[in-house]
Amino acid sequence: MQTLPFTYSARNLGRSRLRLLLSVMGSAMVVLLVLAAGGFVRGMTTGLERTGDEANVMIVGIGSEESIERSEIPASVASLLDASVPGLRTAFGTTFVSPEVQVQLPVVAGAGSPEGRLVLVRGVTPTALLVHSQCQIAQGHWPRSGHNEILVGQLAHTKLGVSAAALAVGSTVNIDGRDWIVSGRLAAPRSVIDAEIWMPLADLKEATRRLTDSCVIATLGTGPGAAEFADVAAFARQRLDLEITAMTESSYYARLAGFFAPVRAVVWITAGLIGLGGVFGGLNTMYAAFASRVRELGMLQCLGFRRSAIVLSMLQESCLATASGALLASAAAVFFLDGVAVQFSMGAFGLLIDAPALLVGLGAGLLLGLLGTIAPAYRCLKLPISESLKSI
Amino acid sequence: MSEPLIQCRSLTRTYTRGTETITPLERLDLDVMPGEFLALMGPSGSGKTTLLNLIAGIDRPTSGTLHIGGIDVGGLSRSRLADWRSRAVGYIFQLYNLVPVLTAYENVELPLLLHRMSGADRHSRVAAALDLVGITDRADHYPRQLSGGQEQRVAIARAIVADPAILVADEPTGDLDKASAAAIMELLGRLSREAGKTLIMVSHDPACAAHAGRILHLDKGRLVEHAAATVGAAGVTT
Repeated sequence: MQTLPFTYSARNLGRSRLRLLLSVMGSAMVVLLVLAAGGFVRGMTTGLERTGDEANVMIVGIGSEESIERSEIPASVASLLDASVPGLRTAFGTTFVSPEVQVQLPVVAGAGSPEGRLVLVRGVTPTALLVHSQCQIAQGHWPRSGHNEILVGQLAHTKLGVSAAALAVGSTVNIDGRDWIVSGRLAAPRSVIDAEIWMPLADLKEATRRLTDSCVIATLGTGPGAAEFADVAAFARQRLDLEITAMTESSYYARLAGFFAPVRAVVWITAGLIGLGGVFGGLNTMYAAFASRVRELGMLQCLGFRRSAIVLSMLQESCLATASGALLASAAAVFFLDGVAVQFSMGAFGLLIDAPALLVGLGAGLLLGLLGTIAPAYRCLKLPISESLKSI
Repeated sequence: MSEPLIQCRSLTRTYTRGTETITPLERLDLDVMPGEFLALMGPSGSGKTTLLNLIAGIDRPTSGTLHIGGIDVGGLSRSRLADWRSRAVGYIFQLYNLVPVLTAYENVELPLLLHRMSGADRHSRVAAALDLVGITDRADHYPRQLSGGQEQRVAIARAIVADPAILVADEPTGDLDKASAAAIMELLGRLSREAGKTLIMVSHDPACAAHAGRILHLDKGRLVEHAAATVGAAGVTT
């Protein structure tokens, strides 16, 4: 099949600047929405996935595998695990075993809601920074036990509905009726920990009047003699007295991600429906573009160009317009949407406009061009050539 | 004596619009010799353009046969017919039908894109066609930058660039002033005489038709009169 020159398709875009503007901006709006949806889904999924580490094993109470906040295990589990399972990761004589309490507490900060908002507060020891390798103190210092100090995640302000300045180092935050001083900022990019508040384990236990931990997180070693998940699972099974069970941290967060599948589906469906509206708008615009040159399409057939070659040229033309819109939307998404914080029940996450999200956006732009062209092209080309040539 | 290039036998074209059946061309017999310049005249609805479109391969007969250069054009599939058109026929329209977003050069080049040839060969052919119609100096102009007569010259260059045996022209001077029309007719006559093109032209204008070697009058889809032109393509009174 001999095709029409690409310049013909490209220059056709310039026939009506208003129509071109409508096509490009219409496509850009739809693609921006798809990118926002993609960024939401990617951000949420990646946030949960990155929070869980393949090398980490969690020990929780039996029956609490789906919610650590409900879990209660004896405080002795951490030391028992360290003593009973050789081959856990160590550094400078410290085993990567982190006993933790995780609890949602009402937090009031700055000019936020006076009743406070529920934020995941994690009671930790310094080994938490070893097992959660994605975390680091971005500003300030580790909270000292007994000094009412806390570390605040970089997205915690989003969860609290206050400005980042309200959680600056040195500011005071009220947690469950008691004031705490922000000693530092915790950075755990692209993970839900970024929206958490950390405080010393002993302080949280004292504040919540509990003696038990929620979980123990341990990192498996590497190389010969390293512990495997099965070793930790065997330990949990054998200690019937502790009523504990083991699971990998990644499987826990993957399961949590699964709980949000309906939310992600709703987001995609909404984006799809709006995209469908965009297709109808595109149909209208492209039909107007092609209907105005039915005679020219007849002339091209008269010269010997096949309908398939003309349809291909039309597709090039409309895809060029929608791809331009998609590129504009992609640039806008990278600059204005990427990293925008969104709160959800688990904390908060940043919209993630990464390569897969951008590919989905560009694909949506091209699909818009394809779907918006086929029907108008068919309608304009179905006329007999002799009829097309009479068109005004 | 050579064989006719175009042979129509009982050529009929019928259209159905709702419950109404229209027959713009009915049982037409016609032979056109190679190199002949034929003018089709008649009132509106007499079947001139229908016959022209059938010969150009952009319409198909309802019944009867149409052989052009030994090929049963009515029996070709849609894609073969498109290929045949690109090789055998150059169409000249009343309203030129140039692509507004392409330059004169690019418009003339369009039909050659359907043929396998090198860029250099294509360039030389386009240049030759533009030269033949006397519009070389306007090669880089867009149609909106050309006068009607110049646009029609570009359209003629586009029709002849692939060197088809047949040129069909539907009211080629219908949208031109008198001087431009005369120049275009002179050009078409020259193409017939010097390039040996078989030229079939629809016209309402007796002065234009007079440039043809033969004039056919159609009425209600039937051939009503054969006449030799008073001023033939070769400029001979017959």
